[in-house]
Parts: sequence; C-alpha cells; structure tokens
Amino acid sequence: MPSMHHDSSRDAPTLTFTMPAGAPSSVGEAKILLPLSVARDAVIDVRALLVHPMDTGFFRDAEGNPIPAYFVNAVTVTYGGEQVARFEWTSGISRDPFVRFPLRASREAQVQVVWKDNKGGVYQQAVDVKFA
Amino acid sequence: MGSDRSARYPDGGDTGTDRAPRDGGGRADTGVGRRGFLRAGVLAAAGLAFGRPLLGESAADVVRMVGARGPDDEMTDAVREVLKAKFGDRRIQTGHVQLDIPTDAPDGRAVPTILDIDLPITPNSYVATYHLLVDHNPDIYLAAYHLTAGSGEGPIETRIKMRRTGYVRAIAEMNTGELWSAAVKVFVGLNGCG
Repeated sequence: MPSMHHDSSRDAPTLTFTMPAGAPSSVGEAKILLPLSVARDAVIDVRALLVHPMDTGFFRDAEGNPIPAYFVNAVTVTYGGEQVARFEWTSGISRDPFVRFPLRASREAQVQVVWKDNKGGVYQQAVDVKFA
Repeated sequence: MGSDRSARYPDGGDTGTDRAPRDGGGRADTGVGRRGFLRAGVLAAAGLAFGRPLLGESAADVVRMVGARGPDDEMTDAVREVLKAKFGDRRIQTGHVQLDIPTDAPDGRAVPTILDIDLPITPNSYVATYHLLVDHNPDIYLAAYHLTAGSGEGPIETRIKMRRTGYVRAIAEMNTGELWSAAVKVFVGLNGCG
C-alpha cells in the first residue's frame, strides 16, 4: 500500500554539513591501513580512507545556495601493477569514504588505490605488502 | 528477487482485507442482525490473522518468508525497474549473502554496512560483484564492488547514506553468473541524502 507511506523526507528540515573541530579537512588526503603482520598467501583486510565531501547536490549551504554534486565515482585497486578490485560509487557513499576489502597476499608488492571524482579529481595512495 | 512472488501476489500485499465482506459494517442498510454482524467481524479478523501466505504455501515457504526477509519486503516499482535494467530476466535467489547493517540508524548520513557471502570461495567460484541498492534513496543503485579471484573473498565494509526508512538490498553476482540477494529494513532517523 504505497499510498499510505508517510514521506518523511518532505518535512525534514534543511541541513547543512559542518566539519567537526579537529577533523582533517583537505580534500584528497588518503590513508591505507594493512594488518601489522602479513603471512604469505593469507587473506588480509585492506582499509582505505579518503577525505572527500561526497556532496549529493541536494543540500544547500547556510546562505541557501545549492551545493553542487561533488563525489567519488570510481575507485581502482592494483596489487603489484595488476588490478584486483574496482568500485563504482555514487553520492550515496558517506562523506570521507571508507572501504574495507579483502586481498590475498600472494607476494611482496605494492597495493595502490586510486580514487576519481566527478569533477576530474584523481587521488591516490600506496602501501607495500611485506611478509613478517 | 520478487518476480515469482509478485506473480502469485499481483497486488503486492498480504493484508487479507479484501476477503472481509464489504458490507460487514453497513448494518443499517443491509439488515444484518447483531449476531450476524459480530460473526462477520470474527470472520474478517480470522482472515487478517491467517491470510493467504499460510493457506496457499508449503511449510518451507512460510519459514522462508518469515525468516530472512519478512513476509513482504515492500519492493517498489522503481527498484524493480533498476533490477530489470541491471539483470534483465536473470533469476535472483535469496540467501547466502550476509548484509550486516544496523536495523536502527539514527543518522542516515553514515550507516555502516558489511557485505559477505557464506559460499565456499575458490579460484573458480568467487564473488565477481557486490551490488548495493537502497529503495528510497534518490540514486537507488548505490554502489558496485567488482572483485577478482585475488580479492573475491571475505567481507566488504563501507558506509552509506540513507534518505529514509526502507529496505537496503545486497546482491552478490558470482563469477558463474549466479545471483544471491539479501534485504534488511533499516529505520532511519536523520535524512542523509537531502
């Protein structure tokens, strides 16, 4: 019975994002975190974080001007030069996008993550996998 | 996901209210006495309590329906169109995917989401893509995570925005072409999409 649903989005107040004090604020800062020790052929969790506003285009700033859409839409992960994962994102991913994904550590090589946004920005970060 | 169910339940609802006599409340013009009126009410209530799912389904179907997804996962036409555009007529089966997401999200700007699969992962059978959909977001198709044999095991974790209360759907596309799905209803407090 879709007609009986109350559309709560209609009477939601207009919201503006403000950064919490002390948070990193420069767009494009990126971090990759690997486990402290990696064994050969183990499946490890790779955590990657990028500082990015991920604006949907539906919000307005304090003066009432619309904030244009500005979000990361493509992420590629390479391991030793070989692509192992690729993510397609929309503005539905939260701000400062975080992702954790699995990787089979088959050799000592570099893990590189490249983020691309809808305004042509390209951000990248890399870290070496070393067996402990 | 809903194609076989929607064929059986074309109106998409299991309320059972259409079984209640239409004139059950119109006591004055139909001339139904007090006893008959009460009896009609009891029958209508029984129709509500034991609606079509229990009458027309096998026991296994009932367990399946009240288990993972609930008796009605409220898939909207817009979501059906997105699935149709993405997967065509391919069969989307329920199960094997784990969608770990809080059922109560006070802040819709960041809802932690974990996607996982409980099938055995081998170099010949792995998750090629996790698809993530949110029913009531402006962009229903929220994200795709393409993996390879070197990364297609273990969980994917991310944080998503949600506009309002509704279902989040995860679909795992295996490299063999099988599609497995899970859906969780998330109650959202603060609108995170604008």
